Amino acid sequence: MTGGVAARAGDAADFVIVGSGAGGATAALVLAEAGKDVIVLEEGPEVRAEHRGLGSVESFMHMFRDRGTQVAMGRSVIPILQGRCLGGTTVVNGAIVWRLPEDAYERVFGAAGAREAIPHAALAAKMDRVERDLSVAPAPDRLLGGNGSLMKAGAAKLGWVGHAIRRNVLDCQGSGRCMEACPTRSKQSMEVTYLPRAASLGARLLPDHEVRTIETSGARAVAVAGRRADGSSFRIAVRRGVILAASAVQSPCILRRSGIGPREHVGAHFRLHPATAVAGVYRDPVRLWEGATQSYEIDEFRHEGFKMEVASLPVELAGVRLPGMGEAFQRSMADYPNMAVWGVQVRAEAEGTVSPAAKRSHIEYTPTAGDMELFRRGAKRLAEMHFAAGAVRVFPGVHGGPEVLTSPDELGELDDLPLDPREWSIISSHLFSTCRMGADERAGVVGFDGAVHGVRGVWVFDASALPTNLGVNPQHTIMAMSMLLTERLVS
Amino acid sequence: MGLGEGAQRRIAVVLADMFGEPIDVGREIAAFLDGYLRRVPSRAALGLGVVVWAITWLPVLFVGVPLPADALSRATRARYIEAWSGSRVYLLREGFYLLKAIALMGWGANLAVRARLGVGPMAARRG
Repeated sequence: MTGGVAARAGDAADFVIVGSGAGGATAALVLAEAGKDVIVLEEGPEVRAEHRGLGSVESFMHMFRDRGTQVAMGRSVIPILQGRCLGGTTVVNGAIVWRLPEDAYERVFGAAGAREAIPHAALAAKMDRVERDLSVAPAPDRLLGGNGSLMKAGAAKLGWVGHAIRRNVLDCQGSGRCMEACPTRSKQSMEVTYLPRAASLGARLLPDHEVRTIETSGARAVAVAGRRADGSSFRIAVRRGVILAASAVQSPCILRRSGIGPREHVGAHFRLHPATAVAGVYRDPVRLWEGATQSYEIDEFRHEGFKMEVASLPVELAGVRLPGMGEAFQRSMADYPNMAVWGVQVRAEAEGTVSPAAKRSHIEYTPTAGDMELFRRGAKRLAEMHFAAGAVRVFPGVHGGPEVLTSPDELGELDDLPLDPREWSIISSHLFSTCRMGADERAGVVGFDGAVHGVRGVWVFDASALPTNLGVNPQHTIMAMSMLLTERLVS
Repeated sequence: MGLGEGAQRRIAVVLADMFGEPIDVGREIAAFLDGYLRRVPSRAALGLGVVVWAITWLPVLFVGVPLPADALSRATRARYIEAWSGSRVYLLREGFYLLKAIALMGWGANLAVRARLGVGPMAARRG
């Protein structure tokens, strides 16, 4: 797809896009369709056919940032999972496409004063195109798998609102390997959709090119500079400008290294959707490895600040927080075929920071007491739903809480789960707002057109530009925002 | 950085007990750990390397026996591992779970383990 062409000295383009995930690939396609001269620079490698579906370990090694070891430091250590390959996190996510609801739009764009600049209807129109382009549809019953079917049954019994997840897949085989780069290329992630389309229209895709800085002259971007995977350096001149779409971790680091943007905001306001999981064991086989990785979700509590999704973990990841050593561990893992794993994802109010470090980024983040209260309520709701679905044992996975529950009569014990994040197993892959939008440089890093305040020719079209966290899965909103703002840039 | 032969031999005994597996599976997991450490960024490798060292050499602090973990009796080693997993000190407990998480990836890659659980091969079938 890329032709393996490395950037050469003297290379130049109208637009250089940094990052090839949801935001960058969408911008690349829009610019290429408009006949613009575009180079897409991706820090990670191309996704090779032989690296697809190899299991968690090889997925981490080939396609995740820091080989899956990136963490946020704070009161506790929180793994931060991000794709690092051509196509970015879309290659390794759960194929969830969540249309931004109006209430979330109001809280995110409305509250930031962006109603006129980025109307909900304008985003909705772009979402329509994305959904057509990526074959988005609800997971059919045959792909719910045991995990999704049980969540559906549990929610129905409790009268909770839930639905099959809308996914960007075509002819999904239900191999449960979304997070290993789909082995059948069914997932309509960026490396099989927008990037090859952009390339066919002339965009140059350069994997293994990490942008470190943006060079400016007279407060205007003139070039990007960085290093290739082989250690050599490169510089590419830009005629119109640079579009940063390198994620809420990398985009602010590039700006900070370059001395661009309002310093008090660049890398600040880091928001997450932190998540944790609760497992249940059932009498009948669940077989997590069959069906879509993420097939069903519960909306019932979204307005309270959390939503719940199935999370079909492979055996090598499922046992981490299960209790027991030796024979007890063997007994726990013998239950794996009968295990359902569901997660709760919190719209956290905590803000952290991201800053560049020598080789990696430094992330500081600690959930607030309010966030932890949502975790406690969410974990209890998950346990309740497991029992409603017929679980015989439920493992909350919280240190200091009950190791296992065997009856819904014990659910009350979860009211006393500790609120210290150090007692919980928390992880996150939805990252936001480190270059957030604001009307001027007192309010944020970029304006409502995505342009960085105080410099010409630099735009940010990724989740870092979102004013705050969405409360729903972000890929769709990132793509719609990038499409809308890039079209305006072209026009 | 990786694990030396001695470090692999010692931690293999601990891992076999931790997962209730025979020593040859423990050795395979230790070899996996060695390979993992060689592939991840140096800071992560250093952190995990410190955990492996500490779990190997600190029984004296947890169970009062001045021997490396692989030389403990099986019952004492079980008590020792439980002390790490249930430690009230967050960094110790998380260090243990870090090792368990990475070691589980090696355990889960073991063909005999996968066959026992009926989950098929690690790599997806193609075509």
